[in-house]
Amino acid sequence: MRISSQTAARLRDNAPIATLVVLVLLVGVLSPTFLEANTLMLLAADTATLFIMGAGLTFVIMVGGIDLSVQAVASLSSVVMAVTLPALGFLSVPLALLSGILAGVISGVAQTRLRIPSFIATLAVSGIAAATALMLSGTRSVPIPPGMRETVLAFAAARTFGVPNDILVAVAVLVVSLFVERRTVFGRWSVAVGAGEPAALVAGVPVNAVKIVALAISGGLAALAGVVMGARLSSGSPTLANEFLLPAVAAVCVGGTALTGGVGSVARTLVGALIVSVVRIGMTFIGVDPFAQQIVFGGVLVLAVAATIDRSKIPIVK
Amino acid sequence: MNDAIATGAGAATAPASGRVHGKPRGMRLGRLRPFVPVAVLLLLCIGITLIAPNFLTRGNFVRLGISAAIPMVLACGMTFVILLGSIDLSTEGIVAVSAVALSLLVKNLVNDDDFGLWALPAPILLGAALGCVNGAVHVRLRIPSMIASLGVGFACIGIATVVLGGITVRIADPLIRDIALTRVLGIPLSVWTALGCILIAWLIQTYTRLGRWAYVLGGGEDIAKLSGIPVGRVRVAVYTLAGFFYGVGGILCVAQFGQSQALIAQGYLFSVITAVVVGGTALTGGEGGILNTIVGVLLVTVLGNGMILVGVPPYAQVGVQGALIIVAVALSTDRSRVRMVK
Repeated sequence: MRISSQTAARLRDNAPIATLVVLVLLVGVLSPTFLEANTLMLLAADTATLFIMGAGLTFVIMVGGIDLSVQAVASLSSVVMAVTLPALGFLSVPLALLSGILAGVISGVAQTRLRIPSFIATLAVSGIAAATALMLSGTRSVPIPPGMRETVLAFAAARTFGVPNDILVAVAVLVVSLFVERRTVFGRWSVAVGAGEPAALVAGVPVNAVKIVALAISGGLAALAGVVMGARLSSGSPTLANEFLLPAVAAVCVGGTALTGGVGSVARTLVGALIVSVVRIGMTFIGVDPFAQQIVFGGVLVLAVAATIDRSKIPIVK
Repeated sequence: MNDAIATGAGAATAPASGRVHGKPRGMRLGRLRPFVPVAVLLLLCIGITLIAPNFLTRGNFVRLGISAAIPMVLACGMTFVILLGSIDLSTEGIVAVSAVALSLLVKNLVNDDDFGLWALPAPILLGAALGCVNGAVHVRLRIPSMIASLGVGFACIGIATVVLGGITVRIADPLIRDIALTRVLGIPLSVWTALGCILIAWLIQTYTRLGRWAYVLGGGEDIAKLSGIPVGRVRVAVYTLAGFFYGVGGILCVAQFGQSQALIAQGYLFSVITAVVVGGTALTGGEGGILNTIVGVLLVTVLGNGMILVGVPPYAQVGVQGALIIVAVALSTDRSRVRMVK
């Protein structure tokens, strides 16, 4: 039986969602408590920060770059927020976001003006952000003053109608990102740059500006993830978001956004982030030896990407 | 000069040349470009010596050699992968598995094995095998090396954790410790091992088909394919070679730290990639090589050592390193020749 290329493409397009559904059902059948509303809510709340970070990263990967600074930027922003909270009150949140956007712009300028690959530029900025966070915090974790969490940071830490607010922040990020991606010139331009930079340049797309904005968005959303994480844990810390970088990259890729650029969407990253979370949390539910979870995770990552990437759009797999 | 500009612009696509290459500034360094990392290294050494004269002592040079040994061995493998235009994120995982294997085979405080030096081939073969798996996953499943190696890396850390059950294994075999402690001609065996790895890597790069093919693939894989080069097999071979060096790195880790655990190599991955790129090997592939990597590893190591000698606070060191990466890569990139920066 031959499957037409169109059907194959449609199958591949929906592979991440199918994977997610199968995984949820699998874990649900093996451990029915997993499908209870409370557990699923917890799952969503746990996915929120990973998704916010992954959403920003998606914009960079769409233009064919990569942002390795997201975890350092998220930690930095949590520290900026925690340190300035007593003095500035609510203003500390925009300040924290600004620190992330600034980090993204620096990476972007290094990439476009100095012509340094984003891989290296963001790795370098990651070091600078980490050092700044360590310096500001005095290398310690900075507690958020009692009371502030319920008032100033309520937008991220409280619950609305029983739903943790971090989920609502993530939903807001999803809506805004989808709008930027589908309804703005920038969104169209980033697809163009990712799909074929020389052609985009000839067509008059301000390639450099698009790249800088993509990295700025990534920095800003990483900073938002840091704020939400800090609000949840009631402290800012220079190592808060460590170990988040690779899962975030994994979430974007598992969702079906191609590392080569031009193909993908923030909606896909949502599915990817959920897959990563379901695999992680589901393994605990099923009772996989915690030590062995990394092995399963590595395997799922490889298989999910193998199933989703559209090789017809990637002539050479590097 | 005009000819030079014309050539530079010709190498780029016509539209790209207009705005980006308008200024002839990028051509001034011309043929000297490849030597920029060396110049940066020398400047750095001079700068550190001016502030902290004890940098130029024999003892400090040996210390530099010791701290450069492990990154150097790992970078030998990474260089070939980056020459292909690919990346390998499984380094820390493969090193961990090799180190754990070695520590459980020699005399240790957990089980009764005592194979002594006979155990040495095991981590190397294991590393090469895992590298081969890495390459096979990347080539056979046709997924980007970044994801393939990320997955294999996760799995390897998992394997190392499962085998050890989360504990740390101390080794009790003095012969293995001697690799880090015994000195020949005043230099520890671990540094000799690193020099040996450089030699092997250089011979492979210069005198074997694999080495030449790695350059061809990095320069243009479609052309390589059309010229009849077995592209897939070359990729798997390069990842296997990288795994071989990671295995050697695992041995050095066990010798240096006297123990092994799943996170033994944590932190090496990005510093090794940094060293390779700072040395002048382009992430896009086809450019650079093992000699560049030597300079890159020394740059990163000298910087780390110098910051301690000069008294840069520990928390600021990552930041200074980040700034240096930008400066070094910006200086050594010939901006008139780079078409796209991804």
